[in-house]
Amino acid sequence: MRTIIFSTAIRLLTPVFLLFSVYILFRGHNHPGGGFIGGLIGSIAFVFHVLAHGANATARVFFSLTLYHYPRQAGHSRTRYFMQIMNANLRGRRKGYKENRWNYIFVRVRPVYIIAFGLLLAVTSGTIGLLAGQPYMAAFWMDVHLPVLGSLGTPLLFDAGVYLLVLGMVLKMIFTMSKE
Amino acid sequence: MLYTLLAGLLVAFAAPLLYNWLGRYTVFPLALLPLCLFLYFCAQVPQVLEGGSILQSVTWVPELGMNLTFQLDGLSLLFALLISFFGFLVVIYAYGYLGKHPLLGRFYMYLTLFMTSMLGVVMADNIFCLFLFWELTSISSYLLIGFNHDQKESRTSAWQALLVTGGGGLALMGGLILLSIASGSYTFSGMILSGSGEVVTHALYLPAVLLVLLGCFTKSAQFPFHFWLPNAMAAPTPVSAYLHSATMVKAGIYLLARLSPVLGGTELWMTALLVVGGTTAVAGALMALQQTDLKAILAYTTISALGLLVMMLGIGSVLAIEAMLVFLLAHALYKGTLFLVAGAVDHSTGTRQVSELRGLGRNMTYTGIAATLAALSMAGVISFFGFVGKELLYEASLESKVFNWFILGVNILAGITFVAVATLMSYRLFWAKTCHPTALLHHASPNLYLPPLVLGLIGLVFGLIAGLFPAPLLERAAVSILPRQHVHFELALWHGFTPVFGLSMLTLLLGYLLYRYLPGLYKTTPRLQKLYRYGPDSLYQAGFEGFLKEAKQFINTLQNGYLRNYIIYIVLFFCGLMLFVLWRDAPHVNLLGRADIWQELQLYEVILFVLVVAALLYILGTRSRLTSIVVMGLVGYSAALVYILYGAPDVAATQLLIETLTVVIFVLLLHKLPAFWYLSHQFRKYKFIAISILFGAVMTYTLLLVQEHAVESELKEFYGEASYLQAHGRNVVNVILVDFRGLDTLGEITVLAVAALGIFALLRLKPEKGGKP
Repeated sequence: MRTIIFSTAIRLLTPVFLLFSVYILFRGHNHPGGGFIGGLIGSIAFVFHVLAHGANATARVFFSLTLYHYPRQAGHSRTRYFMQIMNANLRGRRKGYKENRWNYIFVRVRPVYIIAFGLLLAVTSGTIGLLAGQPYMAAFWMDVHLPVLGSLGTPLLFDAGVYLLVLGMVLKMIFTMSKE
Repeated sequence: MLYTLLAGLLVAFAAPLLYNWLGRYTVFPLALLPLCLFLYFCAQVPQVLEGGSILQSVTWVPELGMNLTFQLDGLSLLFALLISFFGFLVVIYAYGYLGKHPLLGRFYMYLTLFMTSMLGVVMADNIFCLFLFWELTSISSYLLIGFNHDQKESRTSAWQALLVTGGGGLALMGGLILLSIASGSYTFSGMILSGSGEVVTHALYLPAVLLVLLGCFTKSAQFPFHFWLPNAMAAPTPVSAYLHSATMVKAGIYLLARLSPVLGGTELWMTALLVVGGTTAVAGALMALQQTDLKAILAYTTISALGLLVMMLGIGSVLAIEAMLVFLLAHALYKGTLFLVAGAVDHSTGTRQVSELRGLGRNMTYTGIAATLAALSMAGVISFFGFVGKELLYEASLESKVFNWFILGVNILAGITFVAVATLMSYRLFWAKTCHPTALLHHASPNLYLPPLVLGLIGLVFGLIAGLFPAPLLERAAVSILPRQHVHFELALWHGFTPVFGLSMLTLLLGYLLYRYLPGLYKTTPRLQKLYRYGPDSLYQAGFEGFLKEAKQFINTLQNGYLRNYIIYIVLFFCGLMLFVLWRDAPHVNLLGRADIWQELQLYEVILFVLVVAALLYILGTRSRLTSIVVMGLVGYSAALVYILYGAPDVAATQLLIETLTVVIFVLLLHKLPAFWYLSHQFRKYKFIAISILFGAVMTYTLLLVQEHAVESELKEFYGEASYLQAHGRNVVNVILVDFRGLDTLGEITVLAVAALGIFALLRLKPEKGGKP
């Protein structure tokens, strides 16, 4: 299915899907939607990306982070050094220093981490009530109302945990299956 | 009291760490703990002697009656003193015995854990609390028996001990719960207060007694559950001395004593205890005479002694209880000593076979003295505490109202055996003249001979001052067992030339004669081997192996690796359950009354129905996987449409997304599957179709039934209102999911996470070549 049209469209559409899934997650409290559906939509975004570009590309683009750095020399201006690091990491231009001396840290977010983090988020959202001396999972709402997202509270945190868990689970399955 | 247990647990789990830091000096902090506990319990003695009992309670789960309630009365204190003192000696002894064992830290952990749980058992007042510690003793005993885990014998023995005592523990749990229902109290003190008459006449009395007895008999190695105790001798000797002679096996006796004011006094109780105890005493004595391994001999005499204790509890008179307590203390003292001596001998010479051990007294003088002191007590020679115990046993059996000749006979038989074994253990091993004394591998260190020497001396001193020190404490213990009777103990060494004294002397004489004929007995032993083939041990082995084999076969049939079969089992089981419930107590569905619903049928409903049915029929015929997946997707989308039509947008959205994902995932996997091929007969297909139709029919019928007999509930209105007013959300479904029933959702997503890991494991599994498709 790796046609150019499909790949290009998916490249543009994936962020839109993701944005939409987050929107669904937030609107779930008042309208159809919620963490589970949001997570499924989010994962479908990645599933299409996997179909179009392959699992390795998806993992590289969305689930890994490479941080570049190099040891600062004595007498090197701090500001300049900082700017160069920023340039290298944000704009991908590694200049001003011997090109081959750049070190990098490779961070990879595995789907299992997402699952675990989601579960952790869901569990911790309940403990807030516990800390306030109320039963586990008692809901707390903040007194603000955001324009698109609605109000914020611990159930939302819980829903976000569900979202991440579902996302991580589908990703895990997709990545495992498309390997070999 | 709670702090003693907490300290024990803390030290137990710190032991391996301490071993890492302190190396062989770990023994000091670990010996300090039981010593401190012993001193603490000593400090409680005056209060208990005055007739008080110390109560302490921490609420745990008060709704279920589960509380950490502890009580320290005479009986508990006696046991607690025994446990902590023996614990102290055994820790020191184990240091000498295991010495440089690399896992010494772990050993101390198990040992301290056991000591703590045993203290918990004897101090617990709440039944659940008792059960908790009771099981902990089983588990720590399992760990200790299996300490030499590189030996198969140790492992199987540990298994056996765990299964037998753990199984008994389950029975005990049931018995205790029935008992609490019958008496209306969850604590022993409450049960005793409410009076035995109520419990004894209760309808649940019989099952409660049987279950409690089962638990106690397995723990205390009573016939026919005695077989685990000799096998448990695979444990290192300090463990055998501590658990399997002085403390753990007495837990059953303790509980019987504790419950006898509640359950005792009936014919059933008396008969059961007398018969089982008597059989055990005789069987233990007879089997002890056939063994040549020092530890096995001691194990069987222990079984015999436990039988005597149970019998005394069965008689239940004041004198019998007095005899029971004195004999229990005496037995703990001398049997612990003898085990420690056997361990020292084993350690120094490398063998435990009686036939190979001669003239050890020359080189192991102190061990020999300890053995002699204990043996004299065991034989019941005057001036030793064992003598007081033996006299009381005879007296109590003569005084018994029922079966007194039987009881006396059992006592004398056991007594004769004890004398013979005692002579064997001391005279034959250490002092008998021989030209070829057994060579020692090394001399016994003070760690190995001091603890038994101390115990042996205590046996002598207690005999001399029997009336002075142990008597008041034992009297308080007897008061705990017989709360409604006047108890007064007068222990004395010398009663004058009474018939009982005559019996005692006769026992000594016969015992010595038996000892002379022991070598002859050993020759006849092999002939009895055939008999053991039908003994409980062999039955256990056969049962255990058979169970494993059958289980394996059962699993192989049921879980044969075909996913479709798993689904069939689940579906059929579910249908069976549903049909059973429907047949039993569901009303009939009035199908005719629903005929007019047809008239309200909408066109789009018909279209959807036709679509789904046509798709399903098409699937049955197709041979292409891609087609069937796409058609299944079609069915799924139709279902989503149905949801939308009936106003469940959340469900519809989820269904849509799931269908999409399913199709995509299938497509991803599709090219990895082998070509489609009918591996099984076409007939299979019809079987599957039939099962599907059955499942569908059952579900449809159930749904119709539910619709017809809808449960009136205010839940819908409640959620409708509360979701906005209380939970700030207008989407009721989501509010229920994340707020009202958030805990359920948490459980579900946890399951989901675990399932994800399971799927991962399944997918990454590389099937073996030639495995099932």
